[in-house]
Amino acid sequence: MIKVNGLYHSYSKDENFAVKNVNFEISKGEVFGFLGPSGAGKSTTQGVLTGLLPIQKGEVEVVGYDIRHPKREMFNKIGVSFEQSNVYGKLTALENLEFYRKLFDVETMNSMDLLKWVGLDHVANKKAGEFSKGMKHRLTFIRSMLNNPELWFLDEPTTGLDPAIASQIKDIVKEKNKQGTTVFLTTHNMYVADELCHRVAFIIDGEIKLIDSPRNLKLQHGEKFVVVEHLENDVLKKEQLSLIIDQDKARLNEIISTGKIEMMHTKEATLEEIFIKVTGRGLE
Amino acid sequence: MRRILNFVIRDIKSGTRDWLVIYLAAAPIMFALVLKMLIPSVGDSTLNVAIYEDTPPAIVSYLETYAKVIEVNDMEERILRMDDVFGVVVNDDKVEIVTQGNEMEGTVDLLKTIVGRYQNESVELPIEVEFSDIGWVMSPMKLEGANLLIIFNTILGGMLILLNLVEEKMSNTISAINVTPTKRKEFIIGKGLLGFILTLYGGAAVITVLGFEGINYAMLFVSVFAISFIGAIIGFSIGVVSDEPISAIASMKTVFIPVLASIFGAIYLPAKWIFILYWSPFYWAYDVIKDILLVQATWGQVFMNSGIILIITALVFVGLRKRIVNGLS
Ligand SMILES: Nc1ncnc2c1ncn2[C@@H]1O[C@H](COP(=O)(O)OP(=O)(O)O)[C@@H](O)[C@H]1O
Ligand SMILES: [Mg+2]
Repeated sequence: MIKVNGLYHSYSKDENFAVKNVNFEISKGEVFGFLGPSGAGKSTTQGVLTGLLPIQKGEVEVVGYDIRHPKREMFNKIGVSFEQSNVYGKLTALENLEFYRKLFDVETMNSMDLLKWVGLDHVANKKAGEFSKGMKHRLTFIRSMLNNPELWFLDEPTTGLDPAIASQIKDIVKEKNKQGTTVFLTTHNMYVADELCHRVAFIIDGEIKLIDSPRNLKLQHGEKFVVVEHLENDVLKKEQLSLIIDQDKARLNEIISTGKIEMMHTKEATLEEIFIKVTGRGLE
Repeated sequence: MRRILNFVIRDIKSGTRDWLVIYLAAAPIMFALVLKMLIPSVGDSTLNVAIYEDTPPAIVSYLETYAKVIEVNDMEERILRMDDVFGVVVNDDKVEIVTQGNEMEGTVDLLKTIVGRYQNESVELPIEVEFSDIGWVMSPMKLEGANLLIIFNTILGGMLILLNLVEEKMSNTISAINVTPTKRKEFIIGKGLLGFILTLYGGAAVITVLGFEGINYAMLFVSVFAISFIGAIIGFSIGVVSDEPISAIASMKTVFIPVLASIFGAIYLPAKWIFILYWSPFYWAYDVIKDILLVQATWGQVFMNSGIILIITALVFVGLRKRIVNGLS
């Protein structure tokens, strides 16, 4: 679905790269995530892949088209949701979708059904200019799936949404993926990456540091932890111990043998913890 | 085609929401109505004749029955002034007409007829001969005003294009359109079409309100269409780099300067100075539309002027092309 080889991009057209030497491939049916803090180069990469930014250096193939020689018809197979919502404020939600729908040559989804899907059906005939930020974001999101895209670009799909709506969006992404849609998403939210992505790329300062599945990452980089709450001299103590470090393992044995454990559970390292370990920086 | 129509319908919808399209559509009618009120009635338009003090009184009184006669010392200076004044000079019973060259056609013929009649039939004047200026002269205010409004309108059309593009730039919806199968050509035509429709409609409104008879509408259509491009291109070039309407309109308004300069230049400049307007497409538009309104234009003239307009427009486009293309991506 996507092949990227040696991609560089500089807004100032010099050596000051926003994206440098990015390589990855996404196969059909996959949900692939770019995880990285703000300014890492996620949106820039999506911009080049969707043809909105000119390709300067490197090879990019998207849905079988070389992005250096794009054909307009390729966009029938692609859906793009933007980080910053961009809809016509003077048109209603429904009019926005109906206008956009008619720009495609392929069969499109029913606008009203989509509005219902994200809980905007009651404001279908309200001008989008009067919408809250979250509502505009949802409108931008559903607009990107009007043409039933084979490949779906989602730039920060849940950022700025309240948790209930964010989880609704995640469900829709999962559902569409189940129906066969390939997804490229960017996020700085480790939970989104963890929950949705088959594979994630850690990106920072325009460079991909590693690509793997969240599960593999946790297996390889994340040490499993055990959190134990135990009584020591009648004082409740809480300790987090690694199952890999010998010292921690010995300590755990010691606690178990004293037998005053109140509670004990294992805890996985989060993607963010792994991210910090790999890149030396956090996601915020 | 489907997509082009989609853009036009969207622009109409969006434009009627804030009355923009309605204002711009009403403007030519309003202007024409105001102009109509200002136009003096037929009887008021006069033929102005300048004479020397020593002109024989018989001729003076003869001329006074048809024209407003003024005595001057410096004939040449008076005639070269910006209004339409003809000179009548008498040398040994020979009457000569002095013109500047930029007077309205028809008026000269009229004066020639009057003078000719005087020379042939001597002082025996058929007093009952009256003439009205219908068919001969048109009120200059109506003629020049209509011409000005028609050309002015093309800029309003450009302004509509401008504002619809600014809307796209402001909401960053061009990016959304750029990830659909829409071809750039379709977008440009779709975004420009309404401006052209407004321009042509505005021209028709001006003609209808002011009431011109017998003019060749096909010639007018071709000429107005040709001059519409320049406003459209300027509208595009400003629109695609503006994300805020007030400053965009302010930039676009400066286009009225060459428009007004060209038209007033064409009206008031002496014939030998007209060439300094040759760079301006608005001058060429004015030139041919005037003859169309006077029912004097030929297709040859229409094609020549339109050709010149389109060549100048093409040069402007070459200069602005990069800016437009960059702005659209
Ligand atoms: N339009 C632009 N012009 C110049 N620099 C930009 C532009 N957009 C982004 N950048 C810079 O490029 C880098 C990557 O930005 P971006 O791709 O938006 O990051 P992310 O989406 O990961 O937050 C940042 O340093 C940002 O400041
Ligand atoms: Mg971003």
